[in-house]
Amino acid sequence: MDGLILSPSDFVGLLNQTLEIAYPLVEIEGELSNFRVSKNRWVYFDLQDELASVKFFGTVYMLPGPLEDGMMVRAVGAPRLHPRFGFSVNVQSITPAGQGSIKKAADLLAAKLEAEGLFDPSRKRPLPAVPRTIGLVTASNSAAYADFIKILGERWGGVEIHLADVYVQGAQAPAQIVRAIERFNELSSLVDVLVITRGGGSADDLAAFSDERVVRAVAASRIPTLVAVGHEVDTSLTELAADLRASTPTNAAQLAVPNRSEVIAGLRVARKSIRELTLLQFENNLRQTQSNREYLTSQVNLLFKDKLNLIDSQSKLIAVFDPRSALKRGYAIISRAGKNISSVKGLKTGDILDVRLSDGKIGAKVQ
Amino acid sequence: MMAKTVSKRTYQQMSDELDRLIEWFESDKVSLDEAVDKYEQAMKLLKDMEDFLRTAENKVKKIAVQFGDE
Repeated sequence: MDGLILSPSDFVGLLNQTLEIAYPLVEIEGELSNFRVSKNRWVYFDLQDELASVKFFGTVYMLPGPLEDGMMVRAVGAPRLHPRFGFSVNVQSITPAGQGSIKKAADLLAAKLEAEGLFDPSRKRPLPAVPRTIGLVTASNSAAYADFIKILGERWGGVEIHLADVYVQGAQAPAQIVRAIERFNELSSLVDVLVITRGGGSADDLAAFSDERVVRAVAASRIPTLVAVGHEVDTSLTELAADLRASTPTNAAQLAVPNRSEVIAGLRVARKSIRELTLLQFENNLRQTQSNREYLTSQVNLLFKDKLNLIDSQSKLIAVFDPRSALKRGYAIISRAGKNISSVKGLKTGDILDVRLSDGKIGAKVQ
Repeated sequence: MMAKTVSKRTYQQMSDELDRLIEWFESDKVSLDEAVDKYEQAMKLLKDMEDFLRTAENKVKKIAVQFGDE
């Protein structure tokens, strides 16, 4: 380049071209300082060590959550020389690095999201008891995937699993997980439940699941979410925002579907109880029929008895009016020429009368 | 491949129907003629459910997600 005189613009252009070829992306880990957000959109910070400090520039959309000066972070970006503002690295992703910083970042984010109510128990929705479709967000080559599918198959059948194969760690993981969750929520036919899972790992490995973007995507999901990250002891912020948390991928499969053998045992109980109930209904009906018959018989008997009583009393009454009973008591029926006589009037001396007594008839003459 | 199931209904639908039948049997307005029908329905349903549980397999489909940063 000897003797070649460049304008400042040419120099900037040339340097940026060179940087693009030599260092398309750099990954730098250092202590965060001068961190500031401008107009809720632009992010400026420096990463430094004992000897050097490098300027970074980016947008709030690539932040994993709230950050503070003094934290160790790892930033991935493209180094550029700005025509006016000088050198900076255009950040694509920034993640807390090292146990202390990861914890600090998670604590800051947890406090912020907690205050917003994202972890509120009242937001939790129930998962369907028997899902027909499951959206699975995980890495297809992971033990977590294998465990989940294996246990799911052991427990239940007939489920369609829609897998979104994503990175579950590293700089690309948060954006991929978010995109997968969004994609499931965009589909015209929603899956019944969304399972987001990965196995155990270092705090660094699990960092994507405490990333603000991932936590918010889970909280915003229209589909109920079941999240299992790491081992029993690990709790990521994504798990706190989920409708249901499982301790491991295996546990996620246990919570997602019922256990076939328990359900089959339940069906046997149901079969037995339906048989017994049906039998009981038959017995009840039989008993009812028998008691109806007994009632009817007794009613008919009662009716007959009533009628018999009535006939008896009527016949006694009729007996009172029977003239023969009066004849038996000493009375007589007197008649003249076939006509009964009840008075002395009209009788003349010499009239011939018939006198009827209880056991026969005699003739008599009026004197 | 998902095994062919006897019924086109989902397991949940079958399970809900079974619950309704059991509720009917437990109610006090049971007629005997209906009981015979419902009993047969319930036994068929239980068989379908058990067949489903014994034969249905899960299947995995990969969905396409466009990742902007790739």
